[in-house]
Amino acid sequence: MNAQMKPPVAPSASSPLDKEPALAHLAEPSTPNAAASDAMIEVRGLSKLYNGVAALSDVTLSVGKGEFVTLLGPSGSGKSTLLNLISGMTTPTAGKILINGTDATTLPTNQRGLGMVFQNYALMPHMTVFQNIAFPLQVRKIGKDEIRQRVMDVLKLIQLEHVADRRPRELSGGQQQRISLARCIVYNPPLILMDEPLGALDKKLREGMQLEIKRLHADLGVTMLYVTHDQDEALTMSDRIVLMRGGKIEQQGTPEALYFKPQTVFSADFIGSSNLFPGKLSKDKGGLMLRCAAGAFDVPAADGAFVAGSAAVLLVRPENIMVETPADASGRQQIAATLKDTVVLGGIVRHFLETPAGEQIIAQELNQPNRARLMRGDAVKVSWRVDDGRLLPAERA
Amino acid sequence: MTRPLRTAAVFFVPVVAWACYLFLLLPSVIVFPISFGTGGEFEFPPRAFSLELYRQFFTDAAWWGAMTQSLMIALMTALATTVLGLPAAYALQRASLPGAGLINGFIMGPLLVPVIVLGLGLYLQFAPWNLLNRDVSLFLSHTMLAVPFMMISVGASLRHLDPTLENAALIMGASKPAIFFKVVLPQLKAGIAAGALFAFLISFDEVIVAYFVTGPETQTLPVKMYSAMRWELSPVIAAASTLVTVFSILLAIGIMMLQRKEKQQ
Amino acid sequence: MSSASDVSFLSPRSATLLVAPLGALLILFFAYPLILTVWQSFYEGGFTLRAYAELATSTLFYKVLRTTFVISFTATLVSLLIGYPVALHLSRQSPRKRTFYLMLVMLPFWTSILVKSFALTVLLGHSGIVNQALGFISGGTIQFPMVFNRFGAIVGMINYLLPFMILSILGSLLAQDGNLARAAEVMGAGPFRIFRKVTLPLSMPGVIAGIIINFTLSIGMYITPALLGGRQDMMIANLIDFYTRQTLDWPMASAISVVLLLISGALVTILGRVRGGAGVMGVA
Repeated sequence: MNAQMKPPVAPSASSPLDKEPALAHLAEPSTPNAAASDAMIEVRGLSKLYNGVAALSDVTLSVGKGEFVTLLGPSGSGKSTLLNLISGMTTPTAGKILINGTDATTLPTNQRGLGMVFQNYALMPHMTVFQNIAFPLQVRKIGKDEIRQRVMDVLKLIQLEHVADRRPRELSGGQQQRISLARCIVYNPPLILMDEPLGALDKKLREGMQLEIKRLHADLGVTMLYVTHDQDEALTMSDRIVLMRGGKIEQQGTPEALYFKPQTVFSADFIGSSNLFPGKLSKDKGGLMLRCAAGAFDVPAADGAFVAGSAAVLLVRPENIMVETPADASGRQQIAATLKDTVVLGGIVRHFLETPAGEQIIAQELNQPNRARLMRGDAVKVSWRVDDGRLLPAERA
Repeated sequence: MTRPLRTAAVFFVPVVAWACYLFLLLPSVIVFPISFGTGGEFEFPPRAFSLELYRQFFTDAAWWGAMTQSLMIALMTALATTVLGLPAAYALQRASLPGAGLINGFIMGPLLVPVIVLGLGLYLQFAPWNLLNRDVSLFLSHTMLAVPFMMISVGASLRHLDPTLENAALIMGASKPAIFFKVVLPQLKAGIAAGALFAFLISFDEVIVAYFVTGPETQTLPVKMYSAMRWELSPVIAAASTLVTVFSILLAIGIMMLQRKEKQQ
Repeated sequence: MSSASDVSFLSPRSATLLVAPLGALLILFFAYPLILTVWQSFYEGGFTLRAYAELATSTLFYKVLRTTFVISFTATLVSLLIGYPVALHLSRQSPRKRTFYLMLVMLPFWTSILVKSFALTVLLGHSGIVNQALGFISGGTIQFPMVFNRFGAIVGMINYLLPFMILSILGSLLAQDGNLARAAEVMGAGPFRIFRKVTLPLSMPGVIAGIIINFTLSIGMYITPALLGGRQDMMIANLIDFYTRQTLDWPMASAISVVLLLISGALVTILGRVRGGAGVMGVA
């Protein structure tokens, strides 16, 4: 769409972006996701110490051109530090950052040619909306007429032409964040960083903005690196999620992969809700069994890392657990439990159960008009397909 | 507690307060009617209305010249205080300099030292350098005295300034000087203006240092007034006092309005 | 999750460049004159303690020192006695009204001390309104000499010092949690007990700071005692001026300045402890 979206502005001569990636030959393909030449961001062995404490330790990451990558994690996991390192607001203790093939590790922030959207919008209070959006273009010494044209074009794109002459504080939070997005895309940076941009908005607005950002990403073909602690946001928007924990990458992959194939208990727990059964693996009938507080469970086929005698955790997602066992129980793991509570969340029903050993289990199903009503305290047999479970290595304490 | 005692106590606070407001205000306002007296002796209330004292003030080069001298020195002080104080206040807020606390304390120093000591020190300094009775030494001394007020005023504005805005501008590609002039400066306007008015007023009212370092050619209005009060008791003092008070009140109101504007932002 | 950016927006290098001009001004016109004063008090063609020895035996110096302390102490005490009820009055107003009353306090604060001293000589003079009123009441029998004596100097100083005292006490009154007084009231405490047990103790930091500020400002005062005081009421600052201009004994003037500097330095240090490091002029 959008005839008004011009090809990227030729950056000024001092910018790294118009140089050929002179260091491309150094960029060994370090991750499977993107070959070096396609990478917008290449981060290698990046570490950051604050007073001897590692905020980020030895992170290697590649973000492909046009990709939408989300850095997800709790506060203190290093995601903001990584973003600050890429934007240049912080300098790394060790490691290398390549942006668009050029070494940007020590490049000043204002020469990196990036765009960034902040949680608090960071609009200039003393400028009108028009002046705010025009600011990055004036910095680039673009002619008056072209500035006018381009500002009005992006305002049209975000459907806020009518507020051009207002001050930011006269606008709602959602409008302000759209202006801040417009200010970013108006100069066509090849890479846009977003630091919890929707954190200050209420839920409804947030969902609308998520779609709007996704749409802009698809239309503009720009690379986006998005930081959030909100798993739903990450799952909704991303091509790829980089889950961070304690200054390291815990796991990265598509939202699907992270949801269905978490590799650690932390990943399983952070994304989606989960039933986790910690226990010990033992050999049984040629296969493996997990002995845990709730009993001995059949486990899905797993790779060689899981051997008899080792500790492991079995993950079963709530939506895979049925409260009523179907007639054909083959290939299913069944355990007895007592219903503690049932919560109806519109289209979804969530059951809270407890095993005789006292373990809590959550089961989830779609709400149906003719759903069998269970009473609190009912003894039930919950079950799940053994193959829907997933074995995870036990957390090192 | 007995009833009469209680009643007395209830009235005590407002009565003392109002008496105090009167006591504070009266000396500043009484000069207005006195200045419209007929000359001769100071009298309050004046017996007849006249502009005689103002005529004398504006026709006597010693008075009138002292006032233009004061205005000029105050203007130069305000300018110098802004030019020197603003970059320093910004730098101290936005950089982590080693010993920043000490530097800040040093800059506030002129507030803490008795002015008479500074007056003597500057006198001892300028005398051998042949710098007494010079405009430049006077306005630089006043700049030294006024700088803390600029730092306080601009510092308050800077603390309200969100550093994210500067980082956002930096990411958008702006150079640091451009950020200072286009992002920071416009948002500090009220604080800078208040600081400059402060500086102007400090210089315009300052007696002691000016008394030590000025001479006949560089005499400021407060020095002229001071010597007139001590030695001549010329009635023109009343007119001069009124003019000074009008200036002070206008500037003070300006400062207070700027500070309120700052708070509302 | 504000971005913890350890790189300051300005490098130490550019920050130093921005601070340097101001630093140069202050070194040249603030630090250097002070150092020169100290130097001058010890140096008369060679190192000597002559000025200090002379001070130690000078009856004039001791008299002036005593006068300075007596006047400063009296002015501070009276400022406190008047200032506290005024601060209390201000603290009980709605913010809108308080802004107005504060203007009444602040406006004179900004007007020239010369003008105020001059006006007080007229008001308190033998034909001033105060004496006229006294004469009217007493049928012409009572006349107080109220200027060019210690009384005049103290009144003038109080007029100058009151805003500092009021603002200092007001600060600690406004910082108090109104719920405390309300809780005391709910528990049945009368207004005087609340004042004595809650308000007064909690306002002590402001009171102490106000006392120190007023006393520090008092001992360095020059204009007011010169214009409103009598010949017998010379204070330290006037003595410094006397040695500088009348006897041209710069080492003596410097030595007295060093003594004044040490006293006010000690007071400012104590104030820093009380205030947690804030400056004397927190009012600005």
